[in-house]
Amino acid sequence: METRVRGLLLTAALLTVPLLPGCATVHRWREHRAEVRAAREEARAEASPTGQSVAGDSVPPGAIQPRIERRRARAPRIRSSNLEIGAHFGVMSIEDFGSHPAYGLDLAYHLTEDLFVRAEIGRSTGGLTSFETLGGNIRLLTEGERKFTYYDLGLGYNFLPGEAFFGRSRAMTSSFYVIGGAGATQFAGDKKFTVTVGGGYQVLPTDRLAVHVGFEDHMFQSALLGASKLTHNMEAGFGVTVFF
Amino acid sequence: MRHTPAALLLLLAALMAPAVCSAHIFTRHARRDVQVFVKTPYLELHTGPGRGYPVFDVVPQGESVLVLFRRTQWLKVRTRRGVEGWASEDDMLKTALADGAPLPLTIGNRAGFTSHRFEAGAFAGVFGGANLISAYTSYSFNSQLAVEAALGQFLGRYSNGITADIGLTHVPMPQWRLSPFLMLGIGILHVEPKATLVQPAVRTEQTAYVGGGLRYYIGRSFFLRAEYKTHVVITTQNRNQVEDEWKLGFAVFF
Repeated sequence: METRVRGLLLTAALLTVPLLPGCATVHRWREHRAEVRAAREEARAEASPTGQSVAGDSVPPGAIQPRIERRRARAPRIRSSNLEIGAHFGVMSIEDFGSHPAYGLDLAYHLTEDLFVRAEIGRSTGGLTSFETLGGNIRLLTEGERKFTYYDLGLGYNFLPGEAFFGRSRAMTSSFYVIGGAGATQFAGDKKFTVTVGGGYQVLPTDRLAVHVGFEDHMFQSALLGASKLTHNMEAGFGVTVFF
Repeated sequence: MRHTPAALLLLLAALMAPAVCSAHIFTRHARRDVQVFVKTPYLELHTGPGRGYPVFDVVPQGESVLVLFRRTQWLKVRTRRGVEGWASEDDMLKTALADGAPLPLTIGNRAGFTSHRFEAGAFAGVFGGANLISAYTSYSFNSQLAVEAALGQFLGRYSNGITADIGLTHVPMPQWRLSPFLMLGIGILHVEPKATLVQPAVRTEQTAYVGGGLRYYIGRSFFLRAEYKTHVVITTQNRNQVEDEWKLGFAVFF
Protein backbone atom coordinates (compact mmCIF):
# COMPACT_ATOMS: atom_id res chain seq x y z
CA MET A 1 0.00 0.00 0.00
CA GLU A 2 2.72 2.42 0.97
CA THR A 3 4.47 1.80 -2.32
CA ARG A 4 1.24 2.52 -4.14
CA VAL A 5 0.76 5.74 -2.22
CA ARG A 6 4.36 6.63 -2.94
CA GLY A 7 3.73 5.82 -6.58
CA LEU A 8 0.71 8.09 -6.68
CA LEU A 9 2.60 10.90 -5.03
CA LEU A 10 5.54 10.47 -7.37
CA THR A 11 3.20 10.58 -10.36
CA ALA A 12 1.63 13.75 -9.02
CA ALA A 13 5.02 15.30 -8.37
CA LEU A 14 6.28 14.30 -11.81
CA LEU A 15 3.20 15.74 -13.41
CA THR A 16 3.18 18.97 -11.48
CA VAL A 17 6.83 19.89 -11.76
CA PRO A 18 6.94 20.32 -15.55
CA LEU A 19 3.56 21.99 -15.56
CA LEU A 20 4.44 24.99 -13.47
CA PRO A 21 3.88 27.73 -16.00
CA GLY A 22 4.70 30.67 -13.84
CA CYS A 23 6.89 29.09 -11.26
CA ALA A 24 10.00 31.07 -10.57
CA THR A 25 12.14 28.09 -9.74
CA VAL A 26 11.40 26.36 -13.01
CA HIS A 27 11.02 29.19 -15.44
CA ARG A 28 13.34 31.91 -14.26
CA TRP A 29 16.39 30.15 -12.96
CA ARG A 30 18.19 30.23 -16.30
CA GLU A 31 17.34 33.85 -16.80
CA HIS A 32 18.38 34.57 -13.25
CA ARG A 33 21.72 32.87 -13.78
CA ALA A 34 22.27 34.88 -16.96
CA GLU A 35 21.49 38.07 -15.06
CA VAL A 36 23.89 37.18 -12.29
CA ARG A 37 26.60 36.43 -14.86
CA ALA A 38 25.96 39.70 -16.71
CA ALA A 39 26.13 41.68 -13.48
CA ARG A 40 29.38 40.00 -12.53
CA GLU A 41 30.93 40.71 -15.93
CA GLU A 42 29.79 44.30 -15.74
CA ALA A 43 31.38 44.71 -12.32
CA ARG A 44 34.62 43.22 -13.64
CA ALA A 45 34.61 45.49 -16.70
CA GLU A 46 33.99 48.49 -14.51
CA ALA A 47 36.80 47.59 -12.16
CA SER A 48 39.53 46.83 -14.71
CA PRO A 49 39.65 50.05 -16.88
CA THR A 50 39.80 52.33 -13.84
CA GLY A 51 42.64 50.25 -12.45
CA GLN A 52 44.49 50.51 -15.77
CA SER A 53 43.88 54.24 -16.12
CA VAL A 54 45.39 54.91 -12.71
CA ALA A 55 48.41 52.72 -13.46
CA GLY A 56 48.96 53.73 -17.10
CA ASP A 57 48.01 57.38 -16.54
CA SER A 58 46.38 57.37 -19.96
CA VAL A 59 43.52 59.69 -18.93
CA PRO A 60 44.59 63.32 -18.74
CA PRO A 61 44.10 64.89 -15.30
CA GLY A 62 40.91 66.81 -15.00
CA ALA A 63 39.02 64.82 -17.65
CA ILE A 64 35.54 63.89 -16.54
CA GLN A 65 35.01 60.22 -16.10
CA PRO A 66 31.42 59.56 -17.08
CA ARG A 67 29.69 57.45 -14.52
CA ILE A 68 26.57 56.29 -16.24
CA GLU A 69 24.67 53.53 -14.61
CA ARG A 70 23.75 51.24 -17.42
CA ARG A 71 20.19 50.00 -17.31
CA ARG A 72 19.75 46.46 -18.34
CA ALA A 73 16.72 46.15 -20.56
CA ARG A 74 14.63 43.23 -19.48
CA ALA A 75 12.12 41.69 -21.83
CA PRO A 76 8.73 41.86 -20.14
CA ARG A 77 7.19 38.58 -19.17
CA ILE A 78 3.54 37.81 -19.54
CA ARG A 79 2.21 35.49 -16.93
CA SER A 80 0.28 32.45 -18.06
CA SER A 81 -2.85 31.15 -16.44
CA ASN A 82 -3.37 27.71 -17.91
CA LEU A 83 -3.34 25.56 -14.79
CA GLU A 84 -6.62 24.66 -13.16
CA ILE A 85 -6.81 23.07 -9.70
CA GLY A 86 -9.92 22.09 -7.83
CA ALA A 87 -12.15 19.59 -6.16
CA HIS A 88 -15.36 17.81 -7.06
CA PHE A 89 -18.20 16.32 -5.04
CA GLY A 90 -21.05 14.12 -6.13
CA VAL A 91 -22.64 10.72 -6.13
CA MET A 92 -21.13 7.56 -7.52
CA SER A 93 -23.12 4.54 -8.51
CA ILE A 94 -20.80 1.56 -8.18
CA GLU A 95 -22.18 -1.35 -10.20
CA ASP A 96 -23.83 -3.90 -7.85
CA PHE A 97 -22.76 -1.90 -4.79
CA GLY A 98 -25.24 0.99 -4.74
CA SER A 99 -24.85 4.76 -4.90
CA HIS A 100 -22.79 6.68 -2.40
CA PRO A 101 -21.15 10.09 -2.02
CA ALA A 102 -17.94 10.64 -3.95
CA TYR A 103 -15.28 13.31 -3.83
CA GLY A 104 -12.00 14.01 -5.51
CA LEU A 105 -9.31 16.38 -6.70
CA ASP A 106 -8.64 17.61 -10.20
CA LEU A 107 -5.62 19.14 -11.88
CA ALA A 108 -5.95 20.35 -15.45
CA TYR A 109 -3.64 22.11 -17.86
CA HIS A 110 -5.12 23.94 -20.83
CA LEU A 111 -3.12 23.36 -24.00
CA THR A 112 -5.31 25.33 -26.41
CA GLU A 113 -8.72 26.96 -26.16
CA ASP A 114 -10.14 23.55 -27.14
CA LEU A 115 -7.85 20.94 -25.60
CA PHE A 116 -6.83 20.26 -22.03
CA VAL A 117 -5.18 17.45 -20.11
CA ARG A 118 -6.48 16.47 -16.72
CA ALA A 119 -5.31 14.33 -13.82
CA GLU A 120 -7.93 13.27 -11.34
CA ILE A 121 -8.06 11.29 -8.12
CA GLY A 122 -11.26 10.39 -6.30
CA ARG A 123 -12.85 8.26 -3.66
CA SER A 124 -16.23 6.71 -2.95
CA THR A 125 -17.52 3.76 -0.94
CA GLY A 126 -19.41 0.69 -2.08
CA GLY A 127 -22.43 -0.47 -0.12
CA LEU A 128 -24.01 -3.92 0.14
CA THR A 129 -24.92 -5.95 -2.92
CA SER A 130 -28.50 -7.24 -3.07
CA PHE A 131 -27.07 -10.73 -2.45
CA GLU A 132 -25.58 -9.54 0.84
CA THR A 133 -28.77 -7.70 1.83
CA LEU A 134 -30.93 -10.76 1.22
CA GLY A 135 -28.43 -13.30 2.50
CA GLY A 136 -28.30 -12.15 6.12
CA ASN A 137 -24.82 -12.13 7.56
CA ILE A 138 -22.93 -12.95 4.40
CA ARG A 139 -20.31 -10.31 3.57
CA LEU A 140 -18.38 -10.43 0.30
CA LEU A 141 -16.00 -7.64 1.19
CA THR A 142 -14.51 -6.10 4.29
CA GLU A 143 -15.13 -2.43 5.05
CA GLY A 144 -11.68 -1.52 3.80
CA GLU A 145 -12.23 -3.35 0.53
CA ARG A 146 -15.41 -1.36 -0.09
CA LYS A 147 -13.42 1.85 -0.49
CA PHE A 148 -13.45 2.77 -4.16
CA THR A 149 -10.37 4.84 -5.06
CA TYR A 150 -9.60 5.85 -8.61
CA TYR A 151 -7.19 8.01 -10.52
CA ASP A 152 -6.87 8.78 -14.18
CA LEU A 153 -5.13 10.91 -16.76
CA GLY A 154 -7.22 12.19 -19.60
CA LEU A 155 -7.50 14.47 -22.58
CA GLY A 156 -10.47 16.82 -22.74
CA TYR A 157 -12.11 18.87 -25.44
CA ASN A 158 -14.14 22.04 -24.93
CA PHE A 159 -17.00 22.61 -27.34
CA LEU A 160 -20.00 24.91 -27.82
CA PRO A 161 -18.39 27.89 -26.08
CA GLY A 162 -20.85 30.55 -25.06
CA GLU A 163 -21.94 32.93 -22.42
CA ALA A 164 -24.30 32.41 -19.53
CA PHE A 165 -26.17 35.46 -18.28
CA PHE A 166 -26.88 36.12 -14.67
CA GLY A 167 -29.27 39.02 -14.21
CA ARG A 168 -29.10 42.11 -16.42
CA SER A 169 -25.47 43.03 -16.24
CA ARG A 170 -23.50 39.86 -15.70
CA ALA A 171 -22.19 37.57 -18.46
CA MET A 172 -20.03 34.57 -17.72
CA THR A 173 -18.14 32.54 -20.30
CA SER A 174 -19.17 28.92 -20.46
CA SER A 175 -18.61 25.75 -22.48
CA PHE A 176 -19.40 22.07 -22.66
CA TYR A 177 -16.62 19.54 -22.53
CA VAL A 178 -15.98 15.86 -23.10
CA ILE A 179 -13.11 13.94 -21.61
CA GLY A 180 -11.59 10.52 -22.03
CA GLY A 181 -8.75 8.94 -20.14
CA ALA A 182 -7.18 5.92 -18.56
CA GLY A 183 -6.16 5.12 -15.04
CA ALA A 184 -6.59 2.65 -12.23
CA THR A 185 -9.26 1.79 -9.69
CA GLN A 186 -8.63 0.18 -6.32
CA PHE A 187 -11.73 -1.70 -5.25
CA ALA A 188 -12.57 -5.02 -3.63
CA GLY A 189 -8.95 -5.78 -2.80
CA ASP A 190 -7.78 -5.44 -6.38
CA LYS A 191 -6.49 -2.70 -8.64
CA LYS A 192 -7.98 -2.62 -12.13
CA PHE A 193 -7.09 -0.83 -15.34
CA THR A 194 -9.87 1.71 -15.81
CA VAL A 195 -11.08 3.68 -18.78
CA THR A 196 -12.90 6.88 -17.94
CA VAL A 197 -15.20 8.84 -20.24
CA GLY A 198 -17.29 11.81 -19.29
CA GLY A 199 -18.61 15.20 -20.07
CA GLY A 200 -19.98 18.29 -18.51
CA TYR A 201 -20.71 21.97 -18.55
CA GLN A 202 -18.59 24.72 -17.05
CA VAL A 203 -19.22 28.35 -16.22
CA LEU A 204 -16.54 30.86 -15.26
CA PRO A 205 -17.97 33.49 -12.86
CA THR A 206 -14.56 35.21 -12.92
CA ASP A 207 -11.43 34.70 -14.99
CA ARG A 208 -9.89 32.68 -12.21
CA LEU A 209 -12.84 30.58 -11.04
CA ALA A 210 -14.75 27.82 -12.82
CA VAL A 211 -17.82 25.88 -11.70
CA HIS A 212 -18.42 22.51 -13.36
CA VAL A 213 -21.35 20.13 -13.51
CA GLY A 214 -20.53 16.79 -15.03
CA PHE A 215 -20.76 13.05 -15.18
CA GLU A 216 -18.17 10.35 -15.69
CA ASP A 217 -18.22 6.64 -16.31
CA HIS A 218 -15.33 4.68 -14.81
CA MET A 219 -15.24 1.33 -16.61
CA PHE A 220 -13.22 -1.71 -15.64
CA GLN A 221 -13.38 -5.46 -16.03
CA SER A 222 -14.52 -7.25 -12.88
CA ALA A 223 -15.12 -10.91 -12.02
CA LEU A 224 -16.16 -10.20 -8.44
CA LEU A 225 -19.67 -11.62 -8.73
CA GLY A 226 -18.98 -14.68 -10.87
CA ALA A 227 -18.57 -14.08 -14.59
CA SER A 228 -16.12 -11.44 -15.76
CA LYS A 229 -17.91 -8.35 -17.01
CA LEU A 230 -17.25 -4.73 -17.83
CA THR A 231 -18.59 -2.71 -14.92
CA HIS A 232 -19.85 0.85 -15.38
CA ASN A 233 -19.43 3.09 -12.39
CA MET A 234 -21.20 6.36 -12.98
CA GLU A 235 -20.29 9.47 -11.10
CA ALA A 236 -22.28 12.69 -11.28
CA GLY A 237 -21.39 15.81 -9.43
CA PHE A 238 -20.21 19.37 -9.41
CA GLY A 239 -16.77 20.83 -9.04
CA VAL A 240 -15.08 24.10 -8.34
CA THR A 241 -11.68 24.90 -9.81
CA VAL A 242 -9.31 27.83 -9.66
CA PHE A 243 -7.03 28.92 -12.49
CA PHE A 244 -3.39 29.68 -11.75
CA MET B 1 -6.22 1.61 2.53
CA ARG B 2 -5.97 3.33 5.92
CA HIS B 3 -3.27 5.60 4.56
CA THR B 4 -5.36 6.89 1.72
CA PRO B 5 -6.88 10.02 3.35
CA ALA B 6 -3.38 11.06 4.39
CA ALA B 7 -2.19 10.29 0.89
CA LEU B 8 -4.99 12.41 -0.56
CA LEU B 9 -3.98 15.29 1.70
CA LEU B 10 -0.37 14.92 0.65
CA LEU B 11 -1.44 14.80 -2.97
CA LEU B 12 -3.48 17.96 -2.44
CA ALA B 13 -0.38 19.59 -0.96
CA ALA B 14 1.63 18.44 -3.96
CA LEU B 15 -1.01 19.80 -6.31
CA MET B 16 -1.18 23.10 -4.47
CA ALA B 17 2.57 23.64 -4.57
CA PRO B 18 2.62 25.04 -8.11
CA ALA B 19 -0.43 27.12 -7.30
CA VAL B 20 1.29 28.75 -4.37
CA CYS B 21 4.33 29.24 -6.56
CA SER B 22 2.28 30.86 -9.33
CA ALA B 23 0.36 32.97 -6.83
CA HIS B 24 3.67 34.31 -5.59
CA ILE B 25 4.53 35.28 -9.17
CA PHE B 26 1.13 36.94 -9.50
CA THR B 27 1.73 39.25 -6.58
CA ARG B 28 5.28 40.02 -7.61
CA HIS B 29 4.29 40.94 -11.13
CA ALA B 30 1.07 42.67 -10.15
CA ARG B 31 2.40 46.15 -10.85
CA ARG B 32 4.36 45.24 -13.95
CA ASP B 33 1.68 44.63 -16.54
CA VAL B 34 3.14 44.95 -20.01
CA GLN B 35 2.05 47.96 -22.07
CA VAL B 36 1.79 47.49 -25.82
CA PHE B 37 0.77 49.79 -28.68
CA VAL B 38 -1.63 48.85 -31.45
CA LYS B 39 0.13 49.01 -34.83
CA THR B 40 -2.61 47.51 -37.00
CA PRO B 41 -5.68 49.65 -37.92
CA TYR B 42 -7.45 48.23 -34.85
CA LEU B 43 -7.25 45.49 -32.23
CA GLU B 44 -10.35 43.36 -31.67
CA LEU B 45 -11.42 42.50 -28.12
CA HIS B 46 -13.46 39.36 -27.55
CA THR B 47 -15.66 38.62 -24.54
CA GLY B 48 -13.88 35.34 -23.83
CA PRO B 49 -10.67 33.45 -24.55
CA GLY B 50 -11.85 31.64 -27.68
CA ARG B 51 -12.60 32.23 -31.35
CA GLY B 52 -16.33 31.71 -30.74
CA TYR B 53 -16.73 34.59 -28.31
CA PRO B 54 -18.00 37.78 -29.98
CA VAL B 55 -15.99 40.94 -30.54
CA PHE B 56 -17.42 43.66 -28.29
CA ASP B 57 -14.83 46.45 -28.54
CA VAL B 58 -11.93 47.61 -30.69
CA VAL B 59 -8.80 49.54 -29.78
CA PRO B 60 -7.76 52.02 -32.50
CA GLN B 61 -4.26 52.23 -33.99
CA GLY B 62 -1.73 54.06 -31.85
CA GLU B 63 -3.52 53.45 -28.57
CA SER B 64 -2.01 51.30 -25.88
CA VAL B 65 -3.33 48.38 -23.87
CA LEU B 66 -2.05 46.66 -20.75
CA VAL B 67 -1.51 42.91 -21.05
CA LEU B 68 -2.82 41.33 -17.85
CA PHE B 69 -2.23 37.61 -18.41
CA ARG B 70 -2.38 34.89 -20.98
CA ARG B 71 -4.60 31.82 -21.22
CA THR B 72 -3.76 29.34 -23.98
CA GLN B 73 -3.61 31.44 -27.17
CA TRP B 74 -5.51 34.43 -25.77
CA LEU B 75 -4.37 37.47 -23.82
CA LYS B 76 -6.49 39.40 -21.39
CA VAL B 77 -5.91 43.13 -21.93
CA ARG B 78 -7.15 46.37 -20.39
CA THR B 79 -7.60 49.46 -22.53
CA ARG B 80 -6.88 53.00 -21.37
CA ARG B 81 -10.62 53.47 -20.93
CA GLY B 82 -10.64 50.58 -18.47
CA VAL B 83 -12.37 48.07 -20.77
CA GLU B 84 -11.11 44.52 -20.30
CA GLY B 85 -11.30 41.94 -23.05
CA TRP B 86 -9.47 39.09 -24.76
CA ALA B 87 -7.21 39.56 -27.77
CA SER B 88 -5.85 36.67 -29.81
CA GLU B 89 -2.16 35.83 -29.76
CA ASP B 90 -1.96 36.32 -33.55
CA ASP B 91 -3.30 39.87 -33.23
CA MET B 92 -1.09 40.65 -30.25
CA LEU B 93 2.01 39.59 -32.17
CA LYS B 94 1.36 42.58 -34.44
CA THR B 95 1.52 45.03 -31.53
CA ALA B 96 4.71 46.67 -30.27
CA LEU B 97 6.25 47.68 -26.98
CA ALA B 98 7.03 51.36 -26.24
CA ASP B 99 10.52 50.95 -27.78
CA GLY B 100 9.08 49.48 -30.98
CA ALA B 101 10.11 45.92 -30.21
CA PRO B 102 7.52 43.20 -30.80
CA LEU B 103 5.70 41.71 -27.82
CA PRO B 104 7.79 38.77 -26.63
CA LEU B 105 5.38 35.85 -26.74
CA THR B 106 6.70 32.35 -26.59
CA ILE B 107 4.77 30.32 -29.11
CA GLY B 108 5.39 26.68 -29.77
CA ASN B 109 6.69 26.10 -33.29
CA ARG B 110 8.93 23.76 -35.25
CA ALA B 111 12.05 25.53 -33.97
CA GLY B 112 10.85 24.89 -30.42
CA PHE B 113 10.18 21.26 -31.28
CA THR B 114 13.75 20.94 -32.56
CA SER B 115 15.30 22.58 -29.53
CA HIS B 116 13.63 22.95 -26.14
CA ARG B 117 14.41 22.55 -22.45
CA PHE B 118 11.53 20.64 -20.91
CA GLU B 119 9.01 18.19 -22.17
CA ALA B 120 6.32 16.14 -20.47
CA GLY B 121 3.76 13.65 -21.62
CA ALA B 122 1.48 10.75 -20.86
CA PHE B 123 1.24 7.32 -22.46
CA ALA B 124 -1.02 4.32 -22.69
CA GLY B 125 0.42 0.99 -23.70
CA VAL B 126 1.43 -2.52 -22.80
CA PHE B 127 4.07 -3.73 -20.33
CA GLY B 128 4.85 -7.44 -20.38
CA GLY B 129 1.27 -8.22 -21.46
CA ALA B 130 -0.38 -5.92 -18.90
CA ASN B 131 -2.11 -2.61 -19.55
CA LEU B 132 0.17 0.31 -18.86
CA ILE B 133 -0.37 3.98 -18.13
CA SER B 134 2.66 6.15 -17.70
CA ALA B 135 3.93 9.70 -17.64
CA TYR B 136 7.36 11.14 -18.30
CA THR B 137 9.26 14.36 -18.08
CA SER B 138 12.59 15.26 -19.60
CA TYR B 139 15.24 17.96 -19.50
CA SER B 140 17.29 18.57 -22.65
CA PHE B 141 20.96 19.51 -22.43
CA ASN B 142 20.92 20.36 -26.13
CA SER B 143 18.69 19.58 -29.09
CA GLN B 144 19.95 16.00 -29.24
CA LEU B 145 20.54 14.80 -25.71
CA ALA B 146 18.09 14.73 -22.82
CA VAL B 147 17.77 13.11 -19.43
CA GLU B 148 14.32 11.75 -18.77
CA ALA B 149 12.35 10.14 -15.98
CA ALA B 150 9.27 8.00 -16.49
CA LEU B 151 6.82 6.52 -14.05
CA GLY B 152 4.29 3.89 -15.03
CA GLN B 153 1.66 1.68 -13.54
CA PHE B 154 0.80 -1.63 -15.18
CA LEU B 155 -2.36 -3.52 -14.39
CA GLY B 156 -2.58 -7.09 -15.59
CA ARG B 157 -4.45 -10.31 -15.05
CA TYR B 158 -1.72 -11.89 -12.99
CA SER B 159 0.04 -8.94 -11.44
CA ASN B 160 -0.01 -5.21 -10.95
CA GLY B 161 2.97 -3.02 -10.43
CA ILE B 162 4.95 0.12 -10.91
CA THR B 163 7.90 0.93 -13.14
CA ALA B 164 10.19 3.90 -12.57
CA ASP B 165 12.93 4.67 -15.07
CA ILE B 166 15.63 7.27 -15.46
CA GLY B 167 17.90 7.51 -18.45
CA LEU B 168 19.25 9.31 -21.46
CA THR B 169 17.49 9.97 -24.74
CA HIS B 170 19.30 10.73 -27.94
CA VAL B 171 17.54 12.36 -30.91
CA PRO B 172 19.91 12.10 -33.90
CA MET B 173 17.80 14.26 -36.25
CA PRO B 174 15.84 16.67 -34.03
CA GLN B 175 14.94 18.92 -36.98
CA TRP B 176 12.81 16.24 -38.64
CA ARG B 177 9.06 16.43 -38.16
CA LEU B 178 8.94 12.65 -37.69
CA SER B 179 12.14 11.99 -35.87
CA PRO B 180 13.49 8.81 -34.28
CA PHE B 181 15.16 8.63 -30.89
CA LEU B 182 17.11 6.12 -28.82
CA MET B 183 16.95 5.50 -25.09
CA LEU B 184 19.19 3.91 -22.50
CA GLY B 185 18.76 3.83 -18.76
CA ILE B 186 18.07 2.11 -15.50
CA GLY B 187 15.03 1.67 -13.34
CA ILE B 188 13.04 -0.13 -10.72
CA LEU B 189 10.25 -2.61 -11.20
CA HIS B 190 7.82 -3.25 -8.38
CA VAL B 191 5.56 -6.25 -8.91
CA GLU B 192 2.53 -7.23 -6.84
CA PRO B 193 1.36 -10.62 -8.09
CA LYS B 194 -2.32 -11.41 -7.64
CA ALA B 195 -3.21 -13.96 -4.97
CA THR B 196 -4.09 -16.64 -7.52
CA LEU B 197 -0.43 -17.14 -8.40
CA VAL B 198 1.78 -19.83 -6.92
CA GLN B 199 4.33 -17.34 -5.59
CA PRO B 200 2.40 -14.28 -4.58
CA ALA B 201 5.45 -12.50 -3.16
CA VAL B 202 5.64 -8.76 -3.70
CA ARG B 203 9.05 -7.95 -5.10
CA THR B 204 11.08 -4.95 -6.20
CA GLU B 205 13.83 -5.49 -8.75
CA GLN B 206 16.37 -3.33 -10.51
CA THR B 207 16.11 -3.00 -14.23
CA ALA B 208 18.12 -1.70 -17.15
CA TYR B 209 16.51 -0.72 -20.41
CA VAL B 210 17.29 0.07 -23.99
CA GLY B 211 14.75 1.35 -26.44
CA GLY B 212 13.78 3.58 -29.25
CA GLY B 213 10.87 5.38 -30.71
CA LEU B 214 9.45 8.04 -32.92
CA ARG B 215 8.16 11.50 -32.17
CA TYR B 216 5.91 13.40 -34.51
CA TYR B 217 5.27 17.15 -34.35
CA ILE B 218 1.54 17.96 -34.49
CA GLY B 219 1.56 21.73 -34.07
CA ARG B 220 2.20 24.51 -31.56
CA SER B 221 3.95 22.84 -28.60
CA PHE B 222 2.55 19.34 -29.07
CA PHE B 223 3.85 16.10 -30.43
CA LEU B 224 2.99 12.44 -30.46
CA ARG B 225 5.45 9.94 -29.14
CA ALA B 226 5.55 6.20 -29.69
CA GLU B 227 8.21 4.10 -28.06
CA TYR B 228 9.46 0.64 -27.34
CA LYS B 229 11.67 -0.34 -24.43
CA THR B 230 13.07 -3.70 -23.54
CA HIS B 231 13.79 -4.04 -19.82
CA VAL B 232 16.22 -6.53 -18.37
CA VAL B 233 14.96 -7.27 -14.88
CA ILE B 234 17.91 -8.15 -12.66
CA THR B 235 16.33 -10.81 -10.47
CA THR B 236 17.72 -12.74 -7.53
CA GLN B 237 17.08 -15.96 -9.43
CA ASN B 238 19.49 -17.70 -11.78
CA ARG B 239 18.09 -16.14 -14.88
CA ASN B 240 17.31 -12.53 -15.60
CA GLN B 241 13.88 -11.72 -16.90
CA VAL B 242 13.12 -9.62 -19.98
CA GLU B 243 9.99 -7.49 -20.27
CA ASP B 244 8.86 -5.55 -23.31
CA GLU B 245 7.11 -2.20 -23.09
CA TRP B 246 5.19 -0.58 -25.96
CA LYS B 247 3.45 2.72 -25.58
CA LEU B 248 1.90 5.61 -27.44
CA GLY B 249 1.40 9.05 -25.99
CA PHE B 250 0.93 12.73 -26.23
CA ALA B 251 3.58 15.21 -25.14
CA VAL B 252 4.18 18.91 -24.75
CA PHE B 253 7.44 20.86 -24.82
CA PHE B 254 8.22 24.07 -22.93
